[in-house]
Amino acid sequence: MRRKIFPYLLLIPTYLVIVFFIYAPAFDALYNSFFRVSVFGRRKIFVGFQNYLSLFTDKDYLYAVNFTLVYTGVTVVVSIFLSFFLALLLDQKVPGSRIYRTLIFAPYAVSHAVAGALWGFLLNPVVGHVNYLMRIFFGIQTHWLTTTPYAAYSLIFASVWKTLPFNIIFYLAALQSIPTEVLEASIIDGASSWKRVWKIIFPLVSPITFYLVIMSIISATFQSFAIIDVMTKGGPGIYTTNLVYKLFLDGFRFQKIGLASAQNVILFIVMMVITIIYFSYGQRRVHYQ
Amino acid sequence: MRRFWLIVLVVLTVVSFAKVKIQFWHAMGGWRIEVIQNMVNDFMKLNPDIEVEVQYVGSYEEILAKLIAAVQAGTPPHVVQLNEISTQKMIDSGVIVPVQDLIDKDPTFDVGLFLPQVLNYYRVGGKLYSMPWNTSTPLLYYNKTMFKEVGLDPNNPPTTFSELIEACRKLVKKDEKGNIVRTGITWPLYAWFFEQYMALQNQPLVDNNNGRTAKATKVVFNNQAALNFLNLWNTLTKEGLMINTRRADWTAARQLFISQTVGMLISSTSDVALLMNESKKQGFELGTAFLPLPDCTQRGGVVVGGGSLWILKQKNQAEVDAAWKLVKYLAEPGPQIVWHQATGYYPIRIDAIQKLLVQGYYQENPHHLTAILQLLTSVQNYNTQGAIIGAFPEVRNAIETAVEKMLTGALTPKQALDEAERNANKAIKEYF
Repeated sequence: MRRKIFPYLLLIPTYLVIVFFIYAPAFDALYNSFFRVSVFGRRKIFVGFQNYLSLFTDKDYLYAVNFTLVYTGVTVVVSIFLSFFLALLLDQKVPGSRIYRTLIFAPYAVSHAVAGALWGFLLNPVVGHVNYLMRIFFGIQTHWLTTTPYAAYSLIFASVWKTLPFNIIFYLAALQSIPTEVLEASIIDGASSWKRVWKIIFPLVSPITFYLVIMSIISATFQSFAIIDVMTKGGPGIYTTNLVYKLFLDGFRFQKIGLASAQNVILFIVMMVITIIYFSYGQRRVHYQ
Repeated sequence: MRRFWLIVLVVLTVVSFAKVKIQFWHAMGGWRIEVIQNMVNDFMKLNPDIEVEVQYVGSYEEILAKLIAAVQAGTPPHVVQLNEISTQKMIDSGVIVPVQDLIDKDPTFDVGLFLPQVLNYYRVGGKLYSMPWNTSTPLLYYNKTMFKEVGLDPNNPPTTFSELIEACRKLVKKDEKGNIVRTGITWPLYAWFFEQYMALQNQPLVDNNNGRTAKATKVVFNNQAALNFLNLWNTLTKEGLMINTRRADWTAARQLFISQTVGMLISSTSDVALLMNESKKQGFELGTAFLPLPDCTQRGGVVVGGGSLWILKQKNQAEVDAAWKLVKYLAEPGPQIVWHQATGYYPIRIDAIQKLLVQGYYQENPHHLTAILQLLTSVQNYNTQGAIIGAFPEVRNAIETAVEKMLTGALTPKQALDEAERNANKAIKEYF
């Protein structure tokens, strides 16, 4: 009897943390999403699904859905392929690759907000280095953060820059765990290096790719707030407003708690779908040699 | 018995040394953090029984968000600085102590010495809910040295839109490849300037006399006055005579002016002190002027912006009293003069201005005088008193979003106004 209770006792602290910091706020958001709440939360009116209905009939919200898909899609695809390519290069035994490896990991140590601020400085139309170099070499000047479509390009560029090191680390580890016999066999069979990369190496690291795609989607969709807030503030107009930034605006700028909670629930569902896909599909496919 | 007296003595000493602790949250970053801390330190020297914890909480938006969180958690700060557009929201909140109630009970405080232009903004329905504090209006700053260089009269800054466009065209400088390396003007992308240009043309922003006689039900800015301003903005941008910043990016606008990339800047009077210093460092002569008007219009006036101090309801009455003492102190002539000189925000009291005049301060600091004169010469009516809207942040957002769309070429000025009107009205209707 005692033996049966003891393990559960040990689990209690974890469950307490999860319940108070994850489930309670999540249920609170679900509850609030059916209400119209006044600014200081003193008055509440039950409105049923009105918040959800008004979100899906709001052109701006649908735009944000669209932008999130484009922004996430481009960021993830570019980041995955670029990091795979860079990892391949870093995996070569070239003098100095260790130093280069260290340097390329540096962005990972920088927080999203600082990364946004850094790119904000670099892309500043007046005193930014990017425009300075562009003017000298190409004779053009661009307002990177305040004009379409450059605001989106800048955001995607900064996000890719930020997620790249994480992906490279994982690809490097995966590449180094590929048995050398397989590669040697392919060399003896006369496979070109291009063929070797796409027919042997890439399939062998596919479990990692799958994991990185999921992580990059989460990072680009849910953690992009700081970069957007610092770099473009969702502008010009609503051009770079994604779902998370829209949620922030409605919740914290305009204090529409009910509406923001509804958006929160929607994001929660999206997140859950991604997680379920990862666990059911990913678990089955993961096979390390 | 002796022991009893000993205990009484101990209790009395403890009580007499016990300080009332209050919190003061403000949104003034940079060098102003220290200015405020020094002012509060002086206050604590005068009131040794009160301990004030000063906190710079972030921007006006952040401070409001954090205030709401603190109130809901049951630990509101005592004194909070909020921007002018939070006024209706705070009146509706039910969590504040209107300063009018405290003024009525306090015979030592004379509100009659305050500038009526400032009081008019913060008085709603004849009642003063918060203490006006940092007060500013927009001002035209220009680079006199650059004006001379391109053959403009440095003592005759533009007063109309066509003069402004003309001056901007002259200020443009291109490099050998045809890139614009210097241009005419900038101002932060902020709906405040839109509101000011409505008032300058003596037009209201919302109905019911700018929300002053009854709660505003819709915006009334979709007219020629607003179009005048948006057309100017659009023309300047399309011709490359103006550089636009990100939303509410005051720093970027100042930077453009200080680095002499633009010859003119429209910004808040709270930048006077900073720009005086920076122009000296950069070696150019600074000029200030009233905002230019559309051609052939009569000047209405500017609306005061900035922030005011709110006192939050507390369980302990002693804390409210201490908060009132602090608020009262910060509005006294002495601290007001310190604040004015360190920043450029107006002294909000007539006696403070008088004192500075007598001391000859404005002869040496003419830019501070331009700022004050622009406010004092403003027509006083509902239009220049400023709008009171609960959903003001959303209204500003609607205007800024539409303007950004206009600037990227997606909308014409008229379409931008239509969209801003539609979204602002929706927000006003949904305010709760």
